[in-house]
Amino acid sequence: MRATRGSHHVVLRGRRWNAPTAVRASVARVRAVAVSILLSVLSHSLCVAAAEPSTKPTTNVANATASPPAAPLTRDRRVALGAAIVPGVALHGAGHYTLGHKKTAIALLIGEGVGLALTLGGYATLRASGNSRNLAGPAVAATVFGAGLLLASFGADLYGTLANDGGAVELMPRAPARFESEFGYRYVADPHFNYGHFIVESLTLRQGHFRFTPGAWFATNSTNVRYRVEAAYRFLGLTPGDLGKHDDHVDLVLGGMHQRYVDEHFQRSGLEFTLDTRFDFAHLGATLRGSFIDLALGYGVAKVSYDIAGLTLPADTDDLLLAKVGLGVALRGRAHRGSEARLYYDHRHDDYAGGFLTPGRISGVFGKFGADLRWFFTPRLGVLLDAQVGSAMVGGLSLLLRDGNLSAQGLSP
Amino acid sequence: MSHLRSGFLWLSLLLALGCTRPAEERTRRDLDVGHVRSSALDVDVASGLAAVRALSHEKLTLWLSAPSIDLSLVAHEALQLELSIENAMPTVELSDLDAGQTLPVLSGANSTKKSFQLTLTPGTRHLRLAAPGTAEKGRFRFALLSDVQEGIDRIQDVYRVINAQSNLDFLLGAGDLTDEGEDDELAHFQHELATLDVPYYTTLGNHELGERPPPYQQWFGRGNFQFLHRGVYFTLLDSASATIDPLAENWLDTWLANAKASVHIVAMHIPPLDPVGTRNAAFASRGEAAALLAKLAEAAVDLTLYGHIHSYYSFKNAGIPAVISGGGGATPEQADDIGRHFVVFEVDASRGIISTEVVRVDQEH
Repeated sequence: MRATRGSHHVVLRGRRWNAPTAVRASVARVRAVAVSILLSVLSHSLCVAAAEPSTKPTTNVANATASPPAAPLTRDRRVALGAAIVPGVALHGAGHYTLGHKKTAIALLIGEGVGLALTLGGYATLRASGNSRNLAGPAVAATVFGAGLLLASFGADLYGTLANDGGAVELMPRAPARFESEFGYRYVADPHFNYGHFIVESLTLRQGHFRFTPGAWFATNSTNVRYRVEAAYRFLGLTPGDLGKHDDHVDLVLGGMHQRYVDEHFQRSGLEFTLDTRFDFAHLGATLRGSFIDLALGYGVAKVSYDIAGLTLPADTDDLLLAKVGLGVALRGRAHRGSEARLYYDHRHDDYAGGFLTPGRISGVFGKFGADLRWFFTPRLGVLLDAQVGSAMVGGLSLLLRDGNLSAQGLSP
Repeated sequence: MSHLRSGFLWLSLLLALGCTRPAEERTRRDLDVGHVRSSALDVDVASGLAAVRALSHEKLTLWLSAPSIDLSLVAHEALQLELSIENAMPTVELSDLDAGQTLPVLSGANSTKKSFQLTLTPGTRHLRLAAPGTAEKGRFRFALLSDVQEGIDRIQDVYRVINAQSNLDFLLGAGDLTDEGEDDELAHFQHELATLDVPYYTTLGNHELGERPPPYQQWFGRGNFQFLHRGVYFTLLDSASATIDPLAENWLDTWLANAKASVHIVAMHIPPLDPVGTRNAAFASRGEAAALLAKLAEAAVDLTLYGHIHSYYSFKNAGIPAVISGGGGATPEQADDIGRHFVVFEVDASRGIISTEVVRVDQEH
């Protein structure tokens, strides 16, 4: 029954109090997004400022070697690995320090400090403000990036302590392909929806600093479908045909999405923008070549429309914070350029994986966790393994095909 | 191929960490609420609308989750039984449906806690606990109070203001009664409730999940349930884990069908969508949230009530009026100018939601 839905009124006892209005909420959101972007740019600037300048873009990186360690405490990597764990779990960079890579060790320790400050600052802000609508977005973004930096500085210490390069440098530089396509399968295990099997397609075209990527997920056992298109501009980083020593980039990505849940009687259409960055850890020391951190921050807004027979319902406006932290390494051995493995956290809650659920007190806030592996077994052909864990589990495999014209870059395999 | 093998291994490990139904066990435990077997007596509360707190040869204690309940007692031997009920409407009466008579109150007239004396012979007795008039369609008022948590030591301020309200039938809760949901906290919460003049029908929140398994249901009953009061349906859902378990969703389909032609109010702790989406104090999946709201809208739900966010918001979701009220005393959302509060609703079984009134407890706001 909904006879008097529109007629009920709100009365506040005591002095007049203005209920939160759409305008107020919008201002809060814009403010939150502005602060979040500022944080992202700041954290990236800190990373770049800490990096060694790359003045020789055409350096034959295959011949690059680690600068000799200064007075190592040990040359035994097993001892260094132990130090990277204890006391390294508290003092990130301890593994590098024992091997004599003091500059790298200090950089990792600074990374830990910044990460800790962001995490504690973000969490304290959430607690102190009672999860205020004005501060929650920036505080969550700070917490996500802080936790990402904390994990990254610890992980990089382990990586640099263990890795003996093993040809990783030969896998870089990795200028992006002009053309790349993906065709694959995903299984989505979500107890709330009937779908499960999806065909995934996407196409990426790059021209200079621009990228254009349309893509879609089609359920094969239901009517569910998601279309997504991205247009990106690369402010910083390698473009097709470039040579370069490092794999950093800063992209501004504009995205559009439309998703139809026919069986569930709603559809979701959204727009978003993201600042998508990658920082190559090789800036912090030769031992870290082949490892990187991805940071992305943005804002999305969607219209949720309900298609219920006999009812005309207003659409809901739904906005979301986009924040992503990924840690990755370039693959060694029989792998061509662009082959990499990555673990990541993605704060978005609106895709098939949804946000991470726990049996305890805290659910709903987390986004999803994921891992992907891109392995090019020829210069043109590769596979993508993908797994995501949120309120649903997503896993699958795609075939990747890309522009094999890498020899034109002077980087023939 | 070693890259693929190791990739599959790592991705499988990641997927093994997933938990897509965190509320499944808790939801299944709902089925046990209100049903107890002993050598002398079997107790079955219809729809699990009361928690059986204690059962012995001499005494049966129930905590009610609804204004009226039906129960059947199967005695295996002759018993003189004291039926003690808590969290009842002060005017509740006990009717013997088999004999067609009302049984006298032993103690606690005009209190939320009362007792009756039953003489049971071997066999089945059908009883009903209900206040006069609750089965008739009409107009009434109830209040929404949620998110008490660490504010429990100051809750008497809130109860005093609630008790001063006129003609409130009951208090409805959208969860987070305690900070961690431990037994001593739940006992403390119940102790403080003794001064409240009306019963408090509530579901649980994420702050009741600090202990595993959470003891909440042993104290206050089901997390997912529906009751009918004066022609208005109330459905309470357990969204404490930022999702509704699929088993509860199946129950919801039945409850929505029951109430389609009536005024229907749905309450849960974590809202499907946060009006401030960048905060996401909401369901973990926006897809699940929209699917649930579409279902509620299709079933012509009249009002949705939520807690979890420690402030007051009034908005619409899928065209359904929605209220978030988390003013029970937990750390308030700063700069929202509202503070501790509860919300009073006036409802008419024929006309729907008549009015919504926010009542602030703290004068400084």
